[in-house]
Amino acid sequence: MATTPIPLEARDIKKRFGSHEVLKGLSLEAHKGDVITLIGASGSGKSTFLRCMNLLEQPDEGELIVHNEPIHFRATKHGREPADWKQVERLRAKLSMVFQNFNLWSHMTLLENVIEAPVHVLKKPRKQAIDEARALLDRVGLLERADYYPTQMSGGQQQRGAIARALAMDPEVMLFDEPTSALDPELVGDVLKVMRGLADEGRTMILVTHEIAFARDVSSQVIYLHQGVIEESGTPAEVLDNPRSERLRQFLAPKH
Amino acid sequence: MIDLQGYGPRLLEGAMVTLELALLSLVLAVILGLLTASAKLSRNRAIHAIGTLYTTLIRGVPDLVLMMLLFYGGQIGINMLTDQLYDAFDVDIFINVDAFVAGVITIGLIFGAYMGETFRGAFQSVEEGQMEAARAYGMSPWLAFRRVRFPLMMRHALPGIGNNWMVLLKTTALVSIIGLTDMVRVAAEATKATHEPFLFMLPVAGIYLIIASLSEWGFAKLSKRYSTGFGEASEWTN
Repeated sequence: MATTPIPLEARDIKKRFGSHEVLKGLSLEAHKGDVITLIGASGSGKSTFLRCMNLLEQPDEGELIVHNEPIHFRATKHGREPADWKQVERLRAKLSMVFQNFNLWSHMTLLENVIEAPVHVLKKPRKQAIDEARALLDRVGLLERADYYPTQMSGGQQQRGAIARALAMDPEVMLFDEPTSALDPELVGDVLKVMRGLADEGRTMILVTHEIAFARDVSSQVIYLHQGVIEESGTPAEVLDNPRSERLRQFLAPKH
Repeated sequence: MIDLQGYGPRLLEGAMVTLELALLSLVLAVILGLLTASAKLSRNRAIHAIGTLYTTLIRGVPDLVLMMLLFYGGQIGINMLTDQLYDAFDVDIFINVDAFVAGVITIGLIFGAYMGETFRGAFQSVEEGQMEAARAYGMSPWLAFRRVRFPLMMRHALPGIGNNWMVLLKTTALVSIIGLTDMVRVAAEATKATHEPFLFMLPVAGIYLIIASLSEWGFAKLSKRYSTGFGEASEWTN
């Protein structure tokens, strides 16, 4: 049977912080080329759900399958944890994350940031990594900033640089955790433009965002979370233009 | 030139002993310091307790007392051990606690505790997001430490390491008491023989001062290196 592997599947993910259950059994399936957007009020669990996908948070229950390979867990007295951290490291390298606060490594230049994981994790030859990095920096419009340190760049530039760093891994799936929330409004556009380009070329993306208009434009699927539960899910037309619940209607209503 | 009355070469040898002792102790102290900082930040309660016990013990007991305990106590301990080996297996060995090794171990142990505090603060100064990015990109814990946490924490650790090093350098003078011939001991012997304290103690003070000044210069260089990317220390105009 020659089925193409599914880049990422999450099944029935549950997560508790102390006695508070933040994720109450969430599932999603990201097929190749999907752009899945998670929306919801703060505290709805959308960022936690995203962070469970690359195991920055450990889900207490549920399955994660990256490129058809299930992640193995084992029970410990502190709860469940991955049985094989080497496997986690290998699979994380297929899931690049773009963070709200960019998290470019501040002691490295932009170029060094972009080649760091390809050279040290993927073991690419340095020369090749540099050539690829320069092409990616050109693509996000930052080639002339290659030798700058993160503190010498604007937030928008840092985030575009972080996207170049993510692309350098040639990831199966890109995870975006509120990539424009920490940016000044006038810098948001450039970052969204780069992301739209990625969606257009068929990158598989999972995105947590407050940019509803952008979500409507690029998403293949929109998931609305409320208190750790998927309340509505479907195409942008179904979820954003014809919300079924009063809560989602209110969430989408312009706030003034 | 000053006439050191034939003590010059011995004084220089003593200076070498001081320098070797200080450098080896520094290496040991840095390793112990990193381990202690990790222990004290560990969520494992037993490991945390060991780290706390170590720093409390070391910081609460005078350096000289510790050195005596280790030097004499160490010899007694090793003798007891070799005696037991003899009784049990008929193995006859005698290990002499070398004053140099005892000195390195004691000074390393003492400053490991202080370095531990320095490194603990520096560990925590690294923004969590920096390490999260390292993990998210598939780095192993060791790779993430080497490539991200260590270079970032050094910026905060270096001033503390520099201070500890200066104090450590001067603490090496204590080893003259357990019979190690460092430059202080040579100078003390020479003074006793010639009754000219200034003739010998002033050069000794001068050598300490030279080592200290050179170190300060070295630390300033290192500090500059580990500040790349942070504000005014980076050399970018534009």
